[in-house]
Amino acid sequence: MSARLRNILLWVVALAALILLPQVVEDRYFMHIAVMAGIFTILTLSWNLLAGYTGQLNLGHAAFYGIGAYTSAILAMQTGLSPWLGLFAGGLVAALFGLMLGFPALRLSGPYLAITTIGFAEILRLVAMNWVDLTRGSLGLSGVPLLTPIQIGDFRMQFYFERDYYYVVLAAVLFTLFCIRRLIGSEFGVTLQAMRDDEAGAQSIGINPSSYKLAVFTISAFFAGFAGGLFAHFARLVSPELLALHNTFDVLTMAMIGGLGTIAGPILGAVSLTILSEALRSMEEVLKIDIRLIVYGLLLILTILFMREGLVGVIKNVWARVKGDS
Amino acid sequence: MGAILTTDRLTKNFGGLTAVNDVSFSLEQGEILGLIGPNGAGKTTLINLISGAFPPSKGTITFEGRDITREKAHTVNTLGIARTFQVVRIFSRLTALENVLAAMVDRKHKGPWSLVWDSFFRRACALTEDKEACATADSLLDFVGISKYRNEQAGNMPYALTKRLEIARALATEPKLLLLDEPSSGLNPAELTGQIDLIQKINAQGTSILIIEHVMKVIMGISHRLIVLHYGEKIAEGEPKVVYNDPLVVEAYLGGDSDAQH
Amino acid sequence: MDSLFLQQVLNGLITGSVYSLIAIGLTMIFGVMKISNFAQGDYSMVGAYTAVFVMAWVGGWLGWIGSVVAAAAVVGLLGVVTERLVFRPLMTRWTDIDMIMVSIGLFILLDNLAQLFFGATPRMIGDPFGGTTVDLGVASTSLLRLFCFFFAGITIFCLELFLNRSRMGVAIRATSQNRFAAQLMGIDINQVYRITFGVGALLAGVGGVLYGTLFAIYPTMGALPTLKAFAVTILGGMGNIRGAIWGGLILGVAEALGGNYIAMEYKQAIGFFIIILVLLVKPSGLFGRKEGA
Repeated sequence: MSARLRNILLWVVALAALILLPQVVEDRYFMHIAVMAGIFTILTLSWNLLAGYTGQLNLGHAAFYGIGAYTSAILAMQTGLSPWLGLFAGGLVAALFGLMLGFPALRLSGPYLAITTIGFAEILRLVAMNWVDLTRGSLGLSGVPLLTPIQIGDFRMQFYFERDYYYVVLAAVLFTLFCIRRLIGSEFGVTLQAMRDDEAGAQSIGINPSSYKLAVFTISAFFAGFAGGLFAHFARLVSPELLALHNTFDVLTMAMIGGLGTIAGPILGAVSLTILSEALRSMEEVLKIDIRLIVYGLLLILTILFMREGLVGVIKNVWARVKGDS
Repeated sequence: MGAILTTDRLTKNFGGLTAVNDVSFSLEQGEILGLIGPNGAGKTTLINLISGAFPPSKGTITFEGRDITREKAHTVNTLGIARTFQVVRIFSRLTALENVLAAMVDRKHKGPWSLVWDSFFRRACALTEDKEACATADSLLDFVGISKYRNEQAGNMPYALTKRLEIARALATEPKLLLLDEPSSGLNPAELTGQIDLIQKINAQGTSILIIEHVMKVIMGISHRLIVLHYGEKIAEGEPKVVYNDPLVVEAYLGGDSDAQH
Repeated sequence: MDSLFLQQVLNGLITGSVYSLIAIGLTMIFGVMKISNFAQGDYSMVGAYTAVFVMAWVGGWLGWIGSVVAAAAVVGLLGVVTERLVFRPLMTRWTDIDMIMVSIGLFILLDNLAQLFFGATPRMIGDPFGGTTVDLGVASTSLLRLFCFFFAGITIFCLELFLNRSRMGVAIRATSQNRFAAQLMGIDINQVYRITFGVGALLAGVGGVLYGTLFAIYPTMGALPTLKAFAVTILGGMGNIRGAIWGGLILGVAEALGGNYIAMEYKQAIGFFIIILVLLVKPSGLFGRKEGA
């Protein structure tokens, strides 16, 4: 069997399993977790585009997530725009802010960039807290409309339950995955990685780092905003909390543990950590304490110290050993 | 044949230090021009000025009749000047093939957004599956003699070969002028011969070359003309044999902390 | 000038002196080891809690002095331990991103361990001077706050003495200027790293006691001093100690004035506004050295 055929088969099986999952597992709580895992997958994939493929450490990613969520929610609540369009509008507004953040980022690197991006997110969080007329401040916007039903001929799909949203988020993850895979494999993606590995070397072959950094900040922000919109219509509650630093930290922990600068890494990291954190949350009843973030911090440190290529690297090594033995 | 590159009274100050002082020269179409001088003579600074890594303090640089004095590095490259570095600057986490592919992108006509567009609507699913592009890249890897390392991560290649990869990468931008900064440093005698052949092959295809080199065997063997820098100033210029015996040059090398290998 | 203005300036200077202290630790560690330690504020948090425990035990102004000494010792030790376990292994193969991430991991870990051990209830450090206030003519403040200001000053003065007069201090400065040359001179680089990190953490710990004296103490308090210290450090130029002193005072005063005259809600963001403006104009900070050509 050719490698290509095997790949296609693998995709088909995985996709079929994911589509059938809600038919097998009917637990609403489980579906809720699956939806959140999907949203965080999109966030982590988009963050990784900057950090893993371009070498730009953005610690303000949660801001784009929050901007997308607020945009989509406010548009739906105040102008009655269809939430479906709102998702993309949220992405576009976030992209605009991404472009804006890209400008200072052009001249900064390392800790300077890290702290500037944190500052960007914190300022916007305070705006969300204090622009009460628009955002209702720290209470947040509740009662964000659900996604509107889709009617094609006799087929009508409504979006009430977690499993309905599961399919929406699954489609969104696949869309994101498709886009990012295409981008990374293309001339554009090679250019980003060249800049990441050696900026002066990249300039010497005609790459203008500034224009590419702006582009990639914009694209990364778009997907984060898109994820924010999904969250808004799913959770029906949007609050300044979405822009908080700890959300960015969750995302970067997922990316690092999965494997920075890979496509599979963010997916693995987001899914496994979301499941792990729910498992830890259920242990909370037994232990009487919340050890979720202690585990996150510890895992992040251990990954960087002992598992530089993350879960993807581990799987690769195991796979190579299995192949070597047979 | 006219001059492809001309510098006029080029000067670069770093704080109080004048690294390049009032240097004027021209490089003829199709020529291999050697740039020599003791350590700290300002050779690499000169190449950095021409390639746009930083702007000169004074003077002008003209390439094919166009003033490129203030152009940035990436623009200089799209105009037709490629370079290599004294300490290699390859893309260490990309494969050798991808290093070359990255340089083949038509950046003169395409900015980031049109590449984004392309990645969805033009290219094959992945750049490494684009047969046409890969064939060109492969022929370049073959030309510099490293096709064996095609799919190797550049960071894992032997040092001597990364110098060749850098040359292949530079050639992939289809330069009219190639700036080589010590292409032979760190090579053993057997590798040196290969390097000389390679440079002459590149030149035979019509690419003009400006080369900095410490290894006399290489520089005397391939240069059509030599320029000698000393403390940032041009002290001699001409046929290699003549320059080599110029008393000023001899004194610069013997008087200074010479590390020329004879 | 109205007295409210001067009152705010005085308040700002007092808070700013504490920012300076914490930021100096951060900037030292960056200058010598090129580590941007996002867990710096958590060292302050640990220092503050050390003070809470010592004060509960001893009390009075003796307890306050004792808690500063205890915090210095505990946090200095914590710094040495984390340097050895977390940062040292990365020193040979570090990238900016790895170093920042690992310190973020440490930040998350310490933050949440503190919630586990100390509970979420905010604590206060009692006033050993029983709330005595001092009238300086144009403005007034509590004796305790004034004491904090002078204590920060004295600590910085002692640090300057250490860096300029002791062998180790000179070795630290030499390493910060040129790591390789320092190694060639026979300086034990690992020892320098250990001491630098220990002292850097110690300063954050002492700063934490002062910070906890001025504000409330709670497990997740570390984020604010970390961010403030970074703002100060960038303002003053990364690795520049004098810059950090000025940067801290500037930030303290700017916050006090901005919070009062512009918008209270945005007080915590003033530091960010300032550094974003500064970085746009001068990417290496207000007092920063220009980075290599």
